[in-house]
Amino acid sequence: MSQRACITGKGVISSLADHPNKLHHALCRGQCGLNPIQLFETEYIGGEVPQFDARVYLGEGNLRPLDRIAQLTASAAQLALADSVWTEDMRSEQDVGIVLGTVFSSVHTIGAFDQIAVRRGPRFVKPLDFANTVINAPTGQTAIWHNLRGINSTLATGAGSGLLAIGYASDLICSGRAAALLAGGAEELSFEMLFGFDRANMLSDSAESAVPFDERRTGLALGEGAAFLMLEAVDQAQARGASILGIIRGYGTAFDPIRGQDADKLQTAMAAAIRAALAHAEMSIEDIHCISASAYGSPMGDRCEANAINDVFGDQTASLPITAIKSALGETLGASGAIQTVALLEHLHQGVLPGICGFKTPEMGLRLPTSSNKNCTTNMKNGLVLSFGHDGNLCALVLSKA
Amino acid sequence: MDTEVIRSKIKEFISNAANIDSAKIADNASYVNDLGLDSLTMLEISVDLESEFDMEVPEEELANLKTIQDSVNLVQKYLAAN
Amino acid sequence: MDIQRVVVTGIGVFTSIGTGCSDFWQALLNGQNGISPVESFDTSKYNVHVGGEIKTVSPEPYVTEPQKIGRTSQLGIAAAKLALRDAAVDLASLDLTRAAISMGTTSGEPTQIEEFDDYFVGDDLESAGAEMLNLYPCHHISAHMASELAFMGRNTMIPAACAAGTYAIAHAFDMLRLGQADLALAGGADSFSRITYSGFAQLKAIAPERCQPFDANRKGMIPAEGAGVLVLEPLERARRRNARIYAEIAGYGLSCDAYHMTGGHPEEAGSVSAMEKALLESGVRVEDIHYISAHGTGTPTNDMHETLAVKKVFGDCALKVPISSIKSMLGHTMGAASAIETAVCALATHTDCIPPTINLDDPDPECDLDYVPNQVREHRVGVAMNNAYAFGGVNASLIVKKFEG
Repeated sequence: MSQRACITGKGVISSLADHPNKLHHALCRGQCGLNPIQLFETEYIGGEVPQFDARVYLGEGNLRPLDRIAQLTASAAQLALADSVWTEDMRSEQDVGIVLGTVFSSVHTIGAFDQIAVRRGPRFVKPLDFANTVINAPTGQTAIWHNLRGINSTLATGAGSGLLAIGYASDLICSGRAAALLAGGAEELSFEMLFGFDRANMLSDSAESAVPFDERRTGLALGEGAAFLMLEAVDQAQARGASILGIIRGYGTAFDPIRGQDADKLQTAMAAAIRAALAHAEMSIEDIHCISASAYGSPMGDRCEANAINDVFGDQTASLPITAIKSALGETLGASGAIQTVALLEHLHQGVLPGICGFKTPEMGLRLPTSSNKNCTTNMKNGLVLSFGHDGNLCALVLSKA
Repeated sequence: MDTEVIRSKIKEFISNAANIDSAKIADNASYVNDLGLDSLTMLEISVDLESEFDMEVPEEELANLKTIQDSVNLVQKYLAAN
Repeated sequence: MDIQRVVVTGIGVFTSIGTGCSDFWQALLNGQNGISPVESFDTSKYNVHVGGEIKTVSPEPYVTEPQKIGRTSQLGIAAAKLALRDAAVDLASLDLTRAAISMGTTSGEPTQIEEFDDYFVGDDLESAGAEMLNLYPCHHISAHMASELAFMGRNTMIPAACAAGTYAIAHAFDMLRLGQADLALAGGADSFSRITYSGFAQLKAIAPERCQPFDANRKGMIPAEGAGVLVLEPLERARRRNARIYAEIAGYGLSCDAYHMTGGHPEEAGSVSAMEKALLESGVRVEDIHYISAHGTGTPTNDMHETLAVKKVFGDCALKVPISSIKSMLGHTMGAASAIETAVCALATHTDCIPPTINLDDPDPECDLDYVPNQVREHRVGVAMNNAYAFGGVNASLIVKKFEG
């Protein structure tokens, strides 16, 4: 590889905030973005983006072709483009691409489209919605809105897709295939998305029982949002005088063939993903100053993650600050790894790692890194982001602040 | 059905599909020349028409719908026949 | 680290005209038609009734527990096993933590959401289980393939619509070149979908009987299902195990029109860009291309714009290079299409045979290139190009070279 991919901008839309700095401070205040879901009829709480209005970010153009997830995606992209100062003129001169991670994508639109066919007949399905029934629709709509003519890729590799998108994009930059890529993830809260989790008994019924690593945890609360990094080749960023906010040092993946059904195999695979990330980053465990965990309130999953961290970091575990933001934002699936990365970059710059929202008592016997609901103020340069899917695909990524 | 009720509905469909303020749509606007609609949007509007008035627009007639008045005439013709 | 050359050592497809490699290839060269009346759902309320369903053979025998996974996953597994068998890979000699899977799809497992919708509309959600979580999301496709084969390496699902197969193969190509895997199964899969059919039918984009790419009377595309998987390896590894090598993947180009979700760029900017990038990376000149596997869906607009794009890139060579669309036989297998077409490019370079565009009765004067009408062509194929254009304005071009050592 000729060089690393650097970060020249970031954008986030989440249930707590639509700016990385505001998100960081909300997390440091212990704010919880989980509330009774308003988007559709349900008794569950979730991390819904409150009163989301894409016109705030995208202006008064025709938003009809874009469904909610496309609007979330395009809005977060707008924020990252503005933050990295990639103007419209610049984008008409040079191809910027986009890589998006998602799990369910436009499932709500797909369902609504088909429900019309079932209920009334196929001649009543909405043509403008058909365009959004392909899984890469949010990526395509965002490219049209922002004139992104480079590589247009969508990764749907489980809940770690958003983090994998950043890794995949950094590979494309490092190998010279692309000079500038928006990389991140998006997910939309919908009835179609929640239904399966409910049937699988994976949802918790309160914020208190969806706290990572906590002894009270029973399951997850779902959330929605979108986040992007603007990744560029270092020499290109320097040549255009861009602010370099950070560097993607490396990433690693692993696949658990038992797909989360066996704790030992899951833990082994999680540890393998972390080691692969460190190896790719050419770093040792001593080089990592903090962790943003993937933990979301799963009785088994969180335990496996804690054990995997112990396995890799050994004695260093006890003094390693860790945060886990899913008790504040909910499990945002394809968006989660990207939101974690955007937030972590801010934590690194501010020198504060937020405590885990709602954390009270660690599960008995769980050897955790320094975790609590208290913020940790410390000098941090390199952070490890973990994004572990619920059924097989695991991803870890190392980044440094600039 | 009153012509203006039909016209108002059509303008509503255009407004929804293309984000154009109904009040700014001329009574006999041309879909392509005045409103700049693409084929997908025009198809959406004709589906809305079919759905609202519970009618079926044969494919060959679709191509003849160039203005709002054309659509109003088509709906009235259908309603009269049924 | 040296950049590895990447070669195709195995091909497995699952389609309406044949499965495996040699049966499929023979059917293709014979111009076999894979279109038939739709049976998987009731089309009485539609104005069209044909599709490219796979009816005579089932993927289930290839799957350990078929009842637990969706049809698209089954198709992927079947094609993968056929490809591995074709490549004569000794799985015992493989470090399975470095055996990768990279797959593309357009719709994932649409039957799962269609069943959910049936329950939802019928006010019968109590009868629905957890399928919307455990079967529907498309990451299950590559994950089921990995579980079935015990592959524990990088596992990626790239749902880039009708260019997904090429995107997945391109990703595998990069992984192997960068040493991130020792072997990769790369391709695409899609199963027949009521949602897809409803949408294209509403757009009046489905041909009533035959798919006729580049014909003056072409009436549209025909939705279909299928899977295509290639075994890709670094050349060194393939040589060490004396593998039969079909062809070499030489390079690719990806772009986005950023213009319209379902229609192409009016000046073919994105498709031209993808072809040019692919040529640049592979170091190939347009004069060297002896075959183009076209996207060739059979719609009036695609075929016309694709012709223009080829002319813009190939200049004087455009009139000489044979171009054919196998969608004339299979219909549009969505996310599988560009994977199957890449396999076709590999086979074309390996056998020096070019499959025809069938149903080409009356050439469109605006589509005046050599589309290999109706009959197989024997012709040296040193280099082939595969083009794919997808919803979202996504474009992908891939170059396949004859392997001569």
